[in-house]
Amino acid sequence: MESSGGRLPAAGAPPRRITGWRSRRGDLIGLLVLIAFLALMPFVVSGFWVNVAVYALIYSVAAIGLTLLMGLAGQVSLGHAGFFAIGAYTQAVLVTKYGTNSLVASVVAVAVTMAAAVLVGLPLLRLRGHYFALATLGFGIIVSVVATESDFLGATSGIFGIEKPTFNARTYDSATEYLLLLGPVVVIGLLLARNVVQSRIGRALGAVNDSEVAAESLGVNAYRLRLQVLVLSAAYAAVAGTAFAHWLAVVNPNAANFPLSIKFLLISVLGGLGTVWGAVVGALAVEGLDEGLGRLIPKVVPGATGEVELIGFGIALTAVVIFLPGGIHQAWSALVSRLRRPGHPPAESNGGQAAPVADAPSTGEPLLSRSDRPERGTVLLETSGLTQRFGGVVAVDDVTFSVAAGEILALIGPNGAGKTTLFNMVSGVLTPTSGTVTVSGRRIEGRKPHVFAQARATRTFQNLQIFASMTVLGNVMVGRHLRSRAGLMRSALVVPALGEEQAIEADARRLVEVVGLGEDADRFAADLPFGRQRLVEVARALATEPDLLLLDEPMAGLSGPERRELARLLAQLRDSGIGIVLVEHDVDAVLALADRVAVLDDGELIALGTPREIRHDPAVIAAYLGVEEDDELAVELSSTESAGEA
Amino acid sequence: MTDFLQLTFAGVSVGAVYALIAIGFVAIFTVSQVINLAQGEFAAMAGLFAISATASGLPLVPAVILAVVSVAVVAVVMERVVIAPVRRMTTLTSIVLTLGVSTALKAALLLIYGPDAEGLTPFSEGLIDIGGVTIRAHELWILAVAAVVCAAVYWFYERTLTGKSLRACAEQPVAARLVGISLGRASLLSFLIAGVTGAIAGVLASPVTFTSWESGLTLGLKGFVAATLGGLVSMRGAIIGGVVLGVLESLTAGYIDTGLRDAVAFLLLIVVLVVRPAGIFGAQVEARV
Repeated sequence: MESSGGRLPAAGAPPRRITGWRSRRGDLIGLLVLIAFLALMPFVVSGFWVNVAVYALIYSVAAIGLTLLMGLAGQVSLGHAGFFAIGAYTQAVLVTKYGTNSLVASVVAVAVTMAAAVLVGLPLLRLRGHYFALATLGFGIIVSVVATESDFLGATSGIFGIEKPTFNARTYDSATEYLLLLGPVVVIGLLLARNVVQSRIGRALGAVNDSEVAAESLGVNAYRLRLQVLVLSAAYAAVAGTAFAHWLAVVNPNAANFPLSIKFLLISVLGGLGTVWGAVVGALAVEGLDEGLGRLIPKVVPGATGEVELIGFGIALTAVVIFLPGGIHQAWSALVSRLRRPGHPPAESNGGQAAPVADAPSTGEPLLSRSDRPERGTVLLETSGLTQRFGGVVAVDDVTFSVAAGEILALIGPNGAGKTTLFNMVSGVLTPTSGTVTVSGRRIEGRKPHVFAQARATRTFQNLQIFASMTVLGNVMVGRHLRSRAGLMRSALVVPALGEEQAIEADARRLVEVVGLGEDADRFAADLPFGRQRLVEVARALATEPDLLLLDEPMAGLSGPERRELARLLAQLRDSGIGIVLVEHDVDAVLALADRVAVLDDGELIALGTPREIRHDPAVIAAYLGVEEDDELAVELSSTESAGEA
Repeated sequence: MTDFLQLTFAGVSVGAVYALIAIGFVAIFTVSQVINLAQGEFAAMAGLFAISATASGLPLVPAVILAVVSVAVVAVVMERVVIAPVRRMTTLTSIVLTLGVSTALKAALLLIYGPDAEGLTPFSEGLIDIGGVTIRAHELWILAVAAVVCAAVYWFYERTLTGKSLRACAEQPVAARLVGISLGRASLLSFLIAGVTGAIAGVLASPVTFTSWESGLTLGLKGFVAATLGGLVSMRGAIIGGVVLGVLESLTAGYIDTGLRDAVAFLLLIVVLVVRPAGIFGAQVEARV
């Protein structure tokens, strides 16, 4: 896979992560306002506007799903009306042709749509960005073609005669009653979506949007999560579709129409992708504007028809993206924070004022030890004949080595020697041209990075792959992904996952302290200096409780004391039985720390041995001296010789 | 056999139109990584402009030229007003922005020209019979004009300094800027090219397929599929892709079911994207990590 390049959709995704309103209080107030609004509306405004509100609520349910898909999974769907239509048609068929109870029918309709989403998502979610968007557009068109062509589905005229739903001998046939029926659906839909966003799954998807390769290296199966979100989002569309079928009493191919997909998109974007609330606010705004303009325009421009609204939609979409990329949500948060005045920082520090170094355990004491860790000396990683060719260039040539539990293997070599390429092949970022990679007895070459992580192995990156939309703590919490289990269902229902979330946060906080970032825990990771961002990556990697740790130049950008601190930390990790592979340019540090050193030059492994053997290895000396007389490393090799042996 | 030839020929002429639209997608995408969802509207606009110009008494040729020039102006204005001001162009932004323009343009066309589909006068009337295959004279015009435009585009990108600078922007934006190529100008130029090729496509297609305010959607989508067959970055791939798509559609409509015509493109799109995202007819691009 060419997934570590800069052209991932993640690289193009907006840097704001969908978070919901931070405070529970905000959510609560929002809910109360929404409920009051829905309950009071029929008494305050005319029937026309209640009718508008019914449509707005129907569309908002679909838009909540789309907001999840776009805000959380970073995928744009231009064919969401396709899912909406599958739900609506299934409901219509069941109710009119088989006389199914409408509640039962809607459960089936949602299930059918979710199954369709799985079938659509399995191939399409391998695509990214533009391609996924356009492919979903194609999906929408295929659904409407099928609906138009199928006699069973009533061809162009569709299915009609769908009766209004009846529960407990009460028929919900007026706009007001339908509003009462839909209100709770919207509220529950919102709550579930909000919970997903704030859960372990939401956090992992946020990480995928920031850096897919880093998230996968921490064990996040990005493809699978995206698929789950697509299916969830299709379920929302299907719920909206069933409500639509009953309300309109007819379903025709227009339900899968492109303009409807655009309307969903407009609702989500206008409301703001930063929060699931955006969908509801956006739906009310769009439907209100739509109907309002529809009434207003003929008075202003005589003879003008609905087309003008469509122009308005187009201009609104464009204007929102240019002037208010975060939608109404962005305007609202700006307003709120202005009202609250400064002096109230968005993320409060948890008072960890103690000097980070003092918190770290003293030298020699094993760190993160675990009872089920492989015994020292057990081979954790084995490569054999590992080779990578880029076109005619052989970046790594036939490299065979192994790493055992409880040792530090340093990988050194000049720039361009193939060290990072080797890491990429071992960790699943690159598929080797040939050769094998075995981690804890399991062959993993060519598998994705999350498979590497499942084998209790992880890595850091030379070119930083920080989750920029998260705090330091948030970054480390992603590292707990594999050590926690709450799935989409449990997250949506939040209560059972609450305890786990607290445990994740506590573990993450402890690790942040261990690497000496205690006072930065609640700062945005991207605001830290580069060197300390590397420490965030180390803490994040440790959070996965790895047996094998690959560190790509972890000391670059660190000050002298920080380097010594990190070296001590690595020694402690080794003592607790972790196997570490270290790429590092600081040769002093490497030779002092490593148990064994591997030297890579021009893609070939030219030497492998103890630091002492490496110092005397003629091939190594030639490799470094041969390049240039005063090569830094060569000088250091000879100068550290006596010191290292002492 | 005659049927087959008949269908294939019809497919090639429709495919030539798709190819011209695909060129516009590739021109813009390579420079600014934007998929211009208003590309189809360029074609619909040109068709309707030309129809109304001839209806008001203008001879065919000036009417066509006027239509192409007007659409080119619209494309350039779109770039300046909507694309250029955006600093952080993400996938989502570019989709929503161009979708917004497309929606507004569509609605404007509906408002001005009404909902009915009309056809432009063919460039030449009459039918030509070659070995039992009936060809409309206008279809020959489509092929001839499309061939000239494709050749011109190819020449522009391969032989002229300006064309080469556009390719440079596409391949190495930073390096291009270092040697003094303005990305802003390149983006403007790419929209101009897209406007002109899209408009020519619209004018050529109008006598055969008729034009209405909503023709842009399908035309644009088909053009996109064609461009994708070439991996979105290869002009040659886009042109071949357009023709292949046209022929496949025509054969499907002829041998299986007319109603499935529009589904072909998207099934093809999905299959191609999943099996070979770099396109079938494009040059294989080296993966860089």
